[in-house]
Amino acid sequence: MKTKKIVSLILASMLAVSSFAACSTKPTDTQSSGTGEPAQTGDGKEIVDFTMFAAMAGKEKNEGNDIMELIAEKTGVRVKETWLTGQDAGEAIGSIIASGKLPDLIDGGDGSVTLYQNGLLVAWDDYLEKYPNLKEMYTDEEWDKFRMDDGHIYWANVFGNSYDHNTATGHNGEAFWIQVRVLEWANYPKIQTLDEYFKLLEDYAAANPELPDGTPVIPYTCLCEDWKYYCLENAPMFLDGYPNDGCCIVNIDAGMDNPKVVDYNTTDTAKMYFKKLNEEYAKGAIDPDFATQTYDEYIAKLSTGRVLGLCDQYWDFAYNIMGPFASPLEATDGTTFRLDELGCDYVPLGLTAKPGMSQQWHSYDDELNQSSGCAVTTSCKDPDLAFAFLSALLDQDIHDLRFWGIEGVDYLVDDQGLYYRTEEMRENWKSDSYKAKHTCEYSYCPQWMGMSKDGINRMQPSEQPSEFYEGLAEPLKKCFAAYGAQTYSEFLGSEIVVNAPWYPLWSWSNNISSDTPGGIAWKRMGEVKHLWLPTVVMSSDFESDWASYQAAYAECDPQAFLDEAQAEVNKRLETAKSYGWTAPV
Amino acid sequence: MENSIVKSKRVKEVDINKPKLTAKEFKRQWILVAISAVYVIYGIIFYYLPLAGWIIAFQNFVFAKGIGGSKWVGIDKFKFLFSDKTFLMVIRNTFVMGVLNLFFSTIVAIAFAILLNEVRNKYFKKSIQTISYMPHFLSWIIVVAIVHDALTSTGIINDILLRLGILKAPYAFLGDPKLFWGIVTLSHLWKETGWNAIIYLAAITSIDPCLYESASIDGAGRFQKMRYVTLPGLRPTIMILLLMNMGNVLNAGFELQYLLGNGLVQNVSRTIDIYILDWALDARNMDYSLGTAAGIFKTVVSMTFIVVSNYIAKKKGDERLF
Amino acid sequence: MADVVSFDKIKHKKKMATEDIVFTVLNTTFLVLFAVVTLYPVLNTLAYSFNEGNDAVRGGIYLLPRKWSLRSYHEILFERPGIRVGAKVTVARTILGTLTSLAANALLSFILSRKKFLFKSGLSLFWIITMYASGGMIPVLVLFRYLHLTSSFWVYIIPGMVSAFNVMVMRTYMAGIPDSLEEAAQLEGAGYMRVFISIISPLCKPVYATIALFVAVYHWNSWFDAMLYNRFDPQYTTLQYELMKLLDSVSATTGTSSGAQMTQSAAANTITPITVRAAATIATMAPIIALYPFLQRYFVTGLTIGGVKE
Repeated sequence: MKTKKIVSLILASMLAVSSFAACSTKPTDTQSSGTGEPAQTGDGKEIVDFTMFAAMAGKEKNEGNDIMELIAEKTGVRVKETWLTGQDAGEAIGSIIASGKLPDLIDGGDGSVTLYQNGLLVAWDDYLEKYPNLKEMYTDEEWDKFRMDDGHIYWANVFGNSYDHNTATGHNGEAFWIQVRVLEWANYPKIQTLDEYFKLLEDYAAANPELPDGTPVIPYTCLCEDWKYYCLENAPMFLDGYPNDGCCIVNIDAGMDNPKVVDYNTTDTAKMYFKKLNEEYAKGAIDPDFATQTYDEYIAKLSTGRVLGLCDQYWDFAYNIMGPFASPLEATDGTTFRLDELGCDYVPLGLTAKPGMSQQWHSYDDELNQSSGCAVTTSCKDPDLAFAFLSALLDQDIHDLRFWGIEGVDYLVDDQGLYYRTEEMRENWKSDSYKAKHTCEYSYCPQWMGMSKDGINRMQPSEQPSEFYEGLAEPLKKCFAAYGAQTYSEFLGSEIVVNAPWYPLWSWSNNISSDTPGGIAWKRMGEVKHLWLPTVVMSSDFESDWASYQAAYAECDPQAFLDEAQAEVNKRLETAKSYGWTAPV
Repeated sequence: MENSIVKSKRVKEVDINKPKLTAKEFKRQWILVAISAVYVIYGIIFYYLPLAGWIIAFQNFVFAKGIGGSKWVGIDKFKFLFSDKTFLMVIRNTFVMGVLNLFFSTIVAIAFAILLNEVRNKYFKKSIQTISYMPHFLSWIIVVAIVHDALTSTGIINDILLRLGILKAPYAFLGDPKLFWGIVTLSHLWKETGWNAIIYLAAITSIDPCLYESASIDGAGRFQKMRYVTLPGLRPTIMILLLMNMGNVLNAGFELQYLLGNGLVQNVSRTIDIYILDWALDARNMDYSLGTAAGIFKTVVSMTFIVVSNYIAKKKGDERLF
Repeated sequence: MADVVSFDKIKHKKKMATEDIVFTVLNTTFLVLFAVVTLYPVLNTLAYSFNEGNDAVRGGIYLLPRKWSLRSYHEILFERPGIRVGAKVTVARTILGTLTSLAANALLSFILSRKKFLFKSGLSLFWIITMYASGGMIPVLVLFRYLHLTSSFWVYIIPGMVSAFNVMVMRTYMAGIPDSLEEAAQLEGAGYMRVFISIISPLCKPVYATIALFVAVYHWNSWFDAMLYNRFDPQYTTLQYELMKLLDSVSATTGTSSGAQMTQSAAANTITPITVRAAATIATMAPIIALYPFLQRYFVTGLTIGGVKE
């Protein structure tokens, strides 16, 4: 009987559900924009809610976020940001298009072009004239790089764009990094080549095999996971003194107006570099798990302070190890110590194939990536308001709110008008939960780096020299002093050059599609290198494995790729020339 | 006695009089037919209508142009797939890992269910079962992290083998292509055995207790009862699951292989799904047509497996799907 | 003769007894070992979930946390936007979805398990095909959009209601129930629906419990549908989707190479602490594991259900 009752209940509820479903099939008009609870701005206008999707990983803000509300009061707009979850950018953009429901603002990442092709974006052109704040972001020449084949501009890249001049204090790019304690131990020698670098790492490891808590040191590790295998792969390009074009070397021996694309995978330097790694691996100086470690394991390793040296781009590892480096640990003798105070922080070395060469590990200029950016969709109910909002975000007071926070709460101002923060304020801005409820960067909306419009401060705290210097641990300050450097870029000492008109070429190669022979070759080259580079490093017979690798590599038809790269370089050069660029003498 | 049980079971299943489609029979079953019709309509809407999307496998599908406007390319996408050495390699990988997984996970889950069924203490039995299926709820990210932890140069496996003197130096298990399939299969077993056993445990309850009693009276021991009562009782369930999973061998997965793989083992680790992600659904390509073509290929192979194995099952008088 | 037989029997029994003991010991040992091995990852996750975040990054945590902290649980349970709405939606869809799906699957299984049913093979094949043939994500999205299932709660309930896999499992179970019961009921004038509700269903508790568990777990863990169909409708978010947003999932790490190279903004560099991932996992598992004992009694008690007799 009981079962009978249950089953009939189930059947009844099933019927009920289907009738509900029938009722609810009328379109519910919950379009994204403008339906939030009416709130008021300072001058009595209603606050409009926009949605924004960024095809990147990110963290959502809490409802009622302090600074978000302040900005809403000033601009009349509140934006709910949504990020990529469990899909890649292309899939996400595809499914958003198919579902027919778009956010008001979008950064499509790698799927940006798809959005444009589907006619889902609003052109910026008219609004650029109307909102000088936006127009000011780029020069006409730069804006033209954003133009799509219909002649209009649909998005603006918001990153790495400096107001006035580039004021970067850090070195965000790639380098061979070394812990400052190693340099200190050797009395701050000048390290220029791979041989010197590995010799120093080995010597230090032999003399100091363990950390105070008993963890054994690893002289050198290298990440090879997925596309982050650049840590292993592209050093030959830098070692030969070239900048980070990412996919090849652009040789200018025949003059700036006659650039020639060269493959860095087959150069003598490449062979020398991998042979060196092979020797070091055999000696046990390289982490035996380097080829199979995941990113999480890599970060875990670095976080223990046991890795003396590595090759990577700064952003890929540095932010994730700051926390662990600053927390107290217990040594075997019962005392406590901190890794940053011990000198485990990393500094970049500008190594070259031969001593005394000039190098370009650091790029002093902004790098423009026109392949994606912040865009307004055709679903946006009030595009003009959206652009007005994006423009307002660049007003200095709102920009300060976004990146510095609230005066008195997140930063203080001294009598000269210079912004500074206390240790506690800095810590707050590192905390995820504080950021979720308090800070509101709108990090994929237009923003500046470089000098603040007040001429005193920097647009973002990370570039404020005093802030930067205060944030450094003691051993790092000592190390900088020993080499007479103020910042990471000075420490690295790259040659100061004006970016070539085609630079950076990775903004092209990252977006190359596999429907051309060059694109297919690029993909196959990647697959071959993923397999063979770790193999040659771990090989017990380097010469024969190197030959096999080169043979497998040649089979991918790299020339098809290089030809397309050359064409792209020429195209970019022509464009620059049409704006009056001439080769420096 | 054992033969008689098996036989009686078989006879029951094979010798059904196939009903003839007559007006009388139809009238008698009208309610079944009517409800089936509702299910068919439902199935057509939610499962068969979307198959119209297969059409784009024969196009160079571009979102902006839609199906109407995209260029027709015939079977070019299929040609591309089958002329690509990498695709043939990933088919092999997918197939081998699918079969290994199907084979071992079925056997181990059945063995586990039967052994658990032999436990007399109710609380012990319940606790073991609850524990055994817990890893099912862990994501592959977590499981792979633990597998990685155990297999690195300083991991527990190397540690044990070094101490026992079996190895002289730490071995790079994760970088050895020969070991990859084994590691994948073991990881699967570890995570899913308890969960897979649930169905078998439920099926064991449907076995007529009289069979055990009469087996005992005939003097059958534990093993004999397992062999001649429990296993035959599970047979229909085993067959149905096996048949259904035959169709899944090409769905050997994505996440586990993706997370566990690395450059050194890529030639054995990449599956069809990973290939599709790399070559078709890459954000810079968005070649839905290629992805769909690969999907059609998978479906055709799956259905072939199913139909063939169903036919064999029918021939042998076993439980079958249709 | 009789003496010999009984002697044999005694000998046999003795042999059986020792065999029994040996078997029980071995079996118990094996099962305990198996339980230890499967419990380890769960305990490991538990340990991570209670560890302090910065410390956990260093790895090397096994069964116990190194530095205790409830921070991760606090973060996922109290600090995330949408977690409460998500929890409500998830509970609603789990209950409603399990009930409807169980009913729908059971009824179809009943039909397919009738040996005399005229379209048995045809209808079975019709459903089996649905297991392997999929139109892909995009066509399904477009279809749902036209059916007005996107931006709606019902997208969680209606499309996935019938699952061929579950139907086949249930059908097999139902087919094992002797026909004599059905025939007897029909002689007394019971129609098919009556047979389904009062004869077959009560005997199917174990398989109903199994399928209910499968479906409930599916609903409880679902997040992809929430993202795909209700991405910009926060009122229909699910618990798992909210948690997934926190976790660094596979695709987010495959990421976008151009995205990474231009990551000059520290804001974009967000790696979810391993501890939060662990806490989210535990928080997800806990309710399901709590539910399990209630379902478990239907199929672990084994041979005590004596209904099936020829």
